[in-house]
Amino acid sequence: MAATFFGEVVKAPCRAGTEDQEEEEDERRETAEDREVRRQLARKREVRLFRRQTKTSLEVSLLEKYPCSKFIIAIGNNAVAFLSSFVMNSGVWEEVGCAKLWNEWCRTTDTVHLSPTDAFCVFYHLKSNPSVFGSCPRRNMQVTVLTCRHVTDYKTAESTSSLHSPFLKALKTENFKEPPCCSLLEQPNIVHDLPAAVLSYCQVWKIPAILYLCYTDVMKLDLITVGAFKPVLSSRSLKGLVKNIPQSTEILKKLMTTNEIQSNIYT
Amino acid sequence: MASRYDRAITVFSPDGHLFQVEYAQEAVKKGSTAVGIRGTDIVVLGVEKKSVAKLQDERTVRKICALDDHVCMAFAGLTADARVVINRARVECQSHKLTVEDPVTVEYITRFIATLKQKYTQSNGRRPFGISALIVGFDDDGIPRLYQTDPSGTYHAWKANAIGRSAKTVREFLEKNYTEDAIANDNEAIKLAIRALLEVVQSGGKNVELAIIRRNQPLKMFSAKEIELQVAEIEKEKEEAEKKKSKKTT
Repeated sequence: MAATFFGEVVKAPCRAGTEDQEEEEDERRETAEDREVRRQLARKREVRLFRRQTKTSLEVSLLEKYPCSKFIIAIGNNAVAFLSSFVMNSGVWEEVGCAKLWNEWCRTTDTVHLSPTDAFCVFYHLKSNPSVFGSCPRRNMQVTVLTCRHVTDYKTAESTSSLHSPFLKALKTENFKEPPCCSLLEQPNIVHDLPAAVLSYCQVWKIPAILYLCYTDVMKLDLITVGAFKPVLSSRSLKGLVKNIPQSTEILKKLMTTNEIQSNIYT
Repeated sequence: MASRYDRAITVFSPDGHLFQVEYAQEAVKKGSTAVGIRGTDIVVLGVEKKSVAKLQDERTVRKICALDDHVCMAFAGLTADARVVINRARVECQSHKLTVEDPVTVEYITRFIATLKQKYTQSNGRRPFGISALIVGFDDDGIPRLYQTDPSGTYHAWKANAIGRSAKTVREFLEKNYTEDAIANDNEAIKLAIRALLEVVQSGGKNVELAIIRRNQPLKMFSAKEIELQVAEIEKEKEEAEKKKSKKTT
């Protein structure tokens, strides 16, 4: 062990070779206990699909029977708030099912009583036009992904204080031929996590997909950040789904007040 | 590159950045908005009040604090850091009064706070204060002053400024609307501060807190009713302006 100038303790490589070899051998031997722990972890990490109202589980094949022309996915609280208040308040959306999952990064260890703020995904489809939604890859389907990232993730030569955040950037797959509603993400155009996975999947399966990424300096639910998604309302994928904009703003304000999280660290 | 030069405060990066100081400025953006306006005979501080938890005593959640009878400040950022800075500033105000037999000037106490903040950007093992402050008051010469400090320890005098979340939006509003007419009298200056805040406050007038200092008078905190009256006036003026616009176009 060695201590650095800054007080970190760093493990120095051991020069006594024999000591290391013995430790390694012990670690390589897997006991039955290790296997049991691994099995339990795998069971915990299974993704479960079910209907929220009836609490019955749903087979993936049942979801696949819904045909789909437009798939819209919102990731993160600001994108979800935008979708709920601007798109889902016009027309009747029926909940088809939801997916719950758990992994080691989740903050709760209880896998039975996951609250709505935990890893959660709900599938809705439009009653009047059931072709808007689906889960399996179809060639004539168009995918739209909405998400937020912190503005410090935006790679630019300027300093972040001179950027006018929040702002919208787009990233699309090769098959997406329509013009995006905002400028494309400049190089190095790197995205992370679920949006990246969805875009990669769509690129591989030649599905036209576009990701609208809002860079903001307020990661919690915020009116101005949600407002930055408004240009997306004019895109072809969302046109026809949005009817009442003033009412949407009211719904958004209500969402703000019900979802305020108390924190005393920052004032 | 940033990850190797942002561990310790005393380390410059090869391109001259002090990353910890820049990260401290991000912490300031996590605090709610505060706006300061310097009028002709009045200085106004407006802040976005955080909603208080049900069981919490509202009086202990204050963003606007008096440093002395004639100087007050509003901050944005880490609450605990602000408490430490405010305490030191208050002690310095009294110490100055007892030693020199004169109250501090606004510039003096601002310089004191800024120097304190700068010291913490140049010591090993310490991190910078994660707050920006807006300091307002009147000096003995009767001139109103508004200063802003930030975590790096710089301070500047301003005619009007904003700090905290969405400060840029509020500053742009002020740049457009801070005119000689807008601060012609005290009431107009107060309305300008409230209008600037309403641009970014999520839930309207009930989450706004306001304080003013008039020449030779102590700090005055506005009650919720007084703020509501001002907000109602502003909304009436907005409606009238919109009616005029629609009349012009038809």
